[in-house]
Formats: sequence, C-alpha cells, structure tokens
Amino acid sequence: MRFVADFIGALREAGLDVSPAESLDALKAIKLLGLESRETSKTVLALTLVKRQADQVIYEELFDLYFAGVGKAKTLIKESNKASNKEADKSEIESSENAQEAKNNPHSSQADMSDGEGMQTSPSSSLGKALSKNKDMSLAITQAAIDEKLSSIVLFTQKNYFAYKIMQRLGDDLLSTEIRTDANSPEHKRKQRELIKSRARLLDQVKDYVEQQYGIFAQHKGLKYREEYLQQAKLSQLDRLDYKLMQRLVQRAARKLASQHSRKRLTRKRGQLDVRKTIAANAAFDGALFHTRWKATRIERPKIVAICDVSGSVSRVARFLLLFLYSMQDVMPKVRSFVFASEMIEVTELFKQQGIELALEEIMKRWGGLSTDYGKAFAGFQSQALASIDKKTTVIMLGDARNNEGDGRTDIWEKVYRQSKRVLWLNPEHRNSWDTGDSIMSEYAPWCGSVEPCRNLKDIERIFSRLLKYS
Amino acid sequence: MIIKHQEKIASPEIIQSRFEDLGYICSHSVATAIYLACHLQKPILIEGPPGVGKTELAKITATYLNAPLIRMQCYEGLDESKALYEWKYGKQLLYTQVLKEQLGDVLRGARGLDESIARLHDFGDIFYSQDFLEPRPLLQALQCQDGAVLLIDEIDKADQEFEAFLLELLSDYQVSIPEIGTVKAVSTPVVMLTSNNTRELGDALKRRCLHLYIPFPDAALESRILATQVEGLDTQLREQIVALIGKLRDMPLKKSPAVSETIDWARALLLLNVEELDSHWVKETLNLLLKFQDDIELVEPEIAALLKSLR
Repeated sequence: MRFVADFIGALREAGLDVSPAESLDALKAIKLLGLESRETSKTVLALTLVKRQADQVIYEELFDLYFAGVGKAKTLIKESNKASNKEADKSEIESSENAQEAKNNPHSSQADMSDGEGMQTSPSSSLGKALSKNKDMSLAITQAAIDEKLSSIVLFTQKNYFAYKIMQRLGDDLLSTEIRTDANSPEHKRKQRELIKSRARLLDQVKDYVEQQYGIFAQHKGLKYREEYLQQAKLSQLDRLDYKLMQRLVQRAARKLASQHSRKRLTRKRGQLDVRKTIAANAAFDGALFHTRWKATRIERPKIVAICDVSGSVSRVARFLLLFLYSMQDVMPKVRSFVFASEMIEVTELFKQQGIELALEEIMKRWGGLSTDYGKAFAGFQSQALASIDKKTTVIMLGDARNNEGDGRTDIWEKVYRQSKRVLWLNPEHRNSWDTGDSIMSEYAPWCGSVEPCRNLKDIERIFSRLLKYS
Repeated sequence: MIIKHQEKIASPEIIQSRFEDLGYICSHSVATAIYLACHLQKPILIEGPPGVGKTELAKITATYLNAPLIRMQCYEGLDESKALYEWKYGKQLLYTQVLKEQLGDVLRGARGLDESIARLHDFGDIFYSQDFLEPRPLLQALQCQDGAVLLIDEIDKADQEFEAFLLELLSDYQVSIPEIGTVKAVSTPVVMLTSNNTRELGDALKRRCLHLYIPFPDAALESRILATQVEGLDTQLREQIVALIGKLRDMPLKKSPAVSETIDWARALLLLNVEELDSHWVKETLNLLLKFQDDIELVEPEIAALLKSLR
C-alpha cells in the first residue's frame, strides 16, 4: 500500500490531479486484485487514477519508472526473508546479512570486530562484509533511501547530498575507516583494494538509484516551480522561450474560469408549454388552465469588444490577453477583437481562419512595433464598430495610453463609454508610471468604468473572473 | 446490483473469456474495468474513438449478467423531465376532478373554515406522489428489483448542467425529486457512460467514475474479432484486411476506419467472393471504410503502394 501511496504522490508532483477519493478507489481496487501482476496493476491504477487522456503518457512513463524499482525491491525482500530463515535454521549468526540491521545499529559491527579478531584479513565493518560477499545491495539502498526521505528531492543539486546520506545510512563511515587503516600484511592490502573497488561500485549503484528516483519525483516539480513563477512574472518581460509554457498556462486558467462560469448561463426552451409550471400556476383555478407558462430561452453571455494596442511593449501583454480571450470561447462566444498601432484593424475573422497562435504571429509581424496614434485608431474604431456597441457590450481596452503627444480623441472614447455596458481599461504599466512622459491615462480615465494595471497572468485571471461574475 | 452468479465476476480473466464466448473480444484492461465496476460499485466512463465497441460493451455486459439494459441517449437540451421522471399530468388533472366530487363527503359536518382546512390537511396529499410519477430511464434503472445495466450514451453531447445533475446518481445511486424526496436505488445498477470526447467532461464527473479508454485494437486482437464476427473468412484474407486497416489508421485521415467498419468491409468482401485483396476490389469497396470524400481521394492513389507493402 505504501508503494501505491508514494506513487500517487509522484503522480501529483507530475501535475495530475488525483483526489483523495480517487486514491481510496485505487487502494480498494489494488486490494481486490493485488500487486503481483504488473500488467494488472498498471491497468487498475490507470482505471482509477488517470482521468484525462493527455495524462496517460505521463502516467505510463512514471509507472514504468516507479514499479521497475518496486518490483525489484519486492523480490529482494522475499529472497532475503528466505535467506535469513535458512540461516536461522543453520543457526549461523551473521548480523551483516540483513542490511536493515546495519541501519538499525550501525555500531553492531563492533561486535563483529571481536568476532573476527583472530583473522585480521577479513573485513570488519558490516558493510564491508556484505560487500566482500558480493551481496546485492539494492534492497538496502531502497530501505536507506526511504529512511532518508529521498522522495522529497526537488533540485538536481540535491542528488549528491542524498547519495552521501544514503551511503552514511548503509554504514559507509566504518567501511571508510577500515579502508584507511594501515594494512599490516600483503593479504590485508589485497582485501583493502578489493573493498575500495566494491565501495566504488556501491557508490555508483546508489547514485543510479538516486538518479532514477529523481526522475520519478522531481523532474516535474521543477516545471511546477517554473509555472508558479510564470504566473507572477511580468508579461512584458517574459522570455520568448517561455511563450509555449505560458500559452499552456493561459489556456488552463481560461478553461478553469470557463467551467466555473458556464453554469451561470441559463438556458430555457422557447415556444414549449411548460406543463409543470402551468399546472402549478393554475392549481388555484380548479385545474382549469387559465394562465399558461412557457419555456423561454435566455442565454446570458457577455458580448465583448476587445481592443488591443500592439505597439512596443504592450504587444506582449496583448498576446496573452487575446489568447486568454479566445481560450474562453465556451462562455464568451461573441468576442470581436481589434488591434491597433495607428490604424484600427478588426482581427476577429483572422483568428477564426488561422487559429489563434498563427494569427497572433502574423499580427505581431504586420502591425506590432509601429508607432502609436490613439487618435487615429479611435477614429477608425468609430467608423468600423461604434454602431454595434450596445448596452450589452463590454469593451476591454488594453493599452498604455502613450500617444506620442498626439490628439487623444477622448470624445470618441466618451461615446464608447456612454453606449456600452461597461468599459474596462487595462494598463500593462504600473500605476506609478501612468501620466508620466507621453502617457495620457488620466484623460481617458473618466470615460472608463475602471482602469486597472494588468501586468501578469494572475491579474488577467482576476479581472476576467470578476467580469464573468457580474455580467 | 445483486449478481446471482458471483462466480461470473470472480476474476477479470473469467470475464474476458466468457465475453469471448458471447462473441465480444476484448482486451484485459476492459475486463478488469468491468470486474472493478462490479466489485467497487463504481460507474465506468468509457472513452475512445467512434466504432470501437463502447456501446457494445454495455450490451454484452447486460447479457452476461442477465440484467436488463436501460439505455439513455444524451443530446443537447436533455433535461430531467426526459431523463429522470415526469408527472402524469393527465391523471393528476383527473384526480383533482375526482377530489372535487369527494370533497363534500370529506368536509361534511365540519364547522367553520379552520376545521375544514384541518380536515383537508388530514386528507392524504397524493397529487405529487409515486402514483403519479412516470419514471424515465434513470429512475427506471434505480427501481429495477434485481439491478440493471444503465448505459448513458454519449454524455459529452448533453449540456454541462445535465452533467452536474448526474453527479448525485453516480456517487450515491440516488436521486432527489423535490416533491417527494430522495429516491434510493433498490439495488445498485452497473452504470456505464460513454463519451466521444467532443468536449472535455467536468472533473467532478470524472472523479466519480473509473476511466476506461478503449483504443483501436491491435492487429492480433482485431484479427480475432474478425474471426468471431465474420464466419467463413479465409485466414489469409483476414490477415491482409487487418494489416491494411492498420496502415490506413496511420494515415492522416479525417476519420479513421473503426472496428465496426472493418467488420462491414470484411462481410462485403466475403459476399463478393473476394479471395485476395487487389487494388480493383479495394477501390470498389473503399467507400465502406472511409466516410469522407476527402479521405477517399487521399487514399485512392496510394492503394497500390499500400497493398504492395503488405506482401
């Protein structure tokens, strides 16, 4: 059971959401079918723990890694049990046989010392004895690793530390002392050389084991830390390398929001008599159907117009904002998007045709990086889209309001504000830098429902969550 | 579910071999899923490409366990009045008529309005009661005396609200009817849900189910399926068919040929007395395998090369 629990821990680290209820199911199922057959346990755990197809690959990889080790350990436990039983029969007391004992009292070897007093040549430390007999140390290593809590390994820099700790557990101290003590005979010297060799082999084995465990427990942890960092990071300063990871994060966040709010959409059927309600409403009239009640369709979906400045530093934020917006199509199907530097361009169709990622690339290539002219862009918006803005529309503007000293055409923005349900201005800059230099944020601010800094993924998520809640 | 023959579900291996006797060839993981579903009393969520026998699995399970199969096809706009229960409105109206006639008897001798109302309260209220309840598939499955196999087909086609509505049924095998209260299962049904993955199902639903993914079968398994489903098919031809289908599935098609299509195709070839696959016959019968004109146009020029690579 311990193996299964640990394995579930490893799965969680790898980013699979395994709930306690599912873990219980897995344990129950394993109890029914046992862990003997590897194929069966693989199927059983997959059935109970892996609920998303995308996770299947990670699961299989981890399972193979993890249970390769477990299988080995289990057979070893059996063998060593058998072995120790036999030896008990033979009444051959050899404390070094069981590596677990070496762990429990590493000083037991002192007793051995007195044992081997007569023959100086045989190794005196328990670990040394085990090694000189060419025992398989895998079980001992596994046990020592569990005692040292190897599963908590996070960074690759910890690998050597853990390898050292495990060696200590195995009784390396005494072995090293033994190796270092001066040899008093050629025979003894030869033994010592052998011991040095087998110690090196053991160290390799330990290191391999640590490496393997690191693969199971930590590889994905690193990714998790990275993701946490990216959520907080300033969007405008993200490395290009992180885009891919970031896109995944954005989509995941959007999906979460979408599923949280989709239930809010009330759908009722139109044009059908709602018999139940009708009868209920007419109970007072002796069952004569006096008032009719009809099913009606009411879909509450926000209409959204998104306008994004794609010049300079804003473009990076715009990229993620648009990505977010389009990942939420389930709950917000009516999104019209515009981008501008100096010209206002509608890109809704482009997104539909090309898919968001390609389209974004193209937009950035074609219009990104041009100098900004809010006045001209707003004039363009007026002619293209102002008429379609009504009381159900939420307008989301993303821009730093840096207008290169031009005319801001706040009059158009005022119209937008008056016609729409709400205007939300997201500014990728910190509050402190608003209105510095050529920024004219305060000129637009009166005509916005709210103006908010929008600097990282967390901000985007927060803003949209609120938007969905109150729309 | 009360399973009269416990030995039938004693181990996955038994299930697998008995299913084979019934003509349903399945992999070990499928049998394990059925085994766990019976023992842990958990619903199974079956996913996989269309035509790999998801629905068939439910049917065969029902036959195997001698239980009635209750099937509910999901679609957009499915609601509880179609899935769970409905009131017999006509009868309810008649009942009020009857009640009106009886009213005089009930209220005879009552003094004042208060007493009349008190008597009315004492009079059993059966307007909303089991008597006027019309059970729909889900309720039927709960009310089966000896348990049933409940198949909720293509759950991904239903709305998200409906999914949420299913949760109570899936975890506790009970449903709440506002006017009556909670209805518990007489005997726990074996529940199977199928999904074609047209949309991502909610986590809450997935958490309550065992998750079984049935992929396209590998060549050996498919060959065995063909052997049981299409009698009299030459072994060599069978191997050729399976190999060719395998090749087709590797191609970037809009819709890859599924097991059901393989079977149809094999039957057609048998009917046409084809002894060996050649490009003429493949070309003639390709529309049985591929359901999109684009796919057919993509595959047609490749047929000769594909057949060559088989030999």
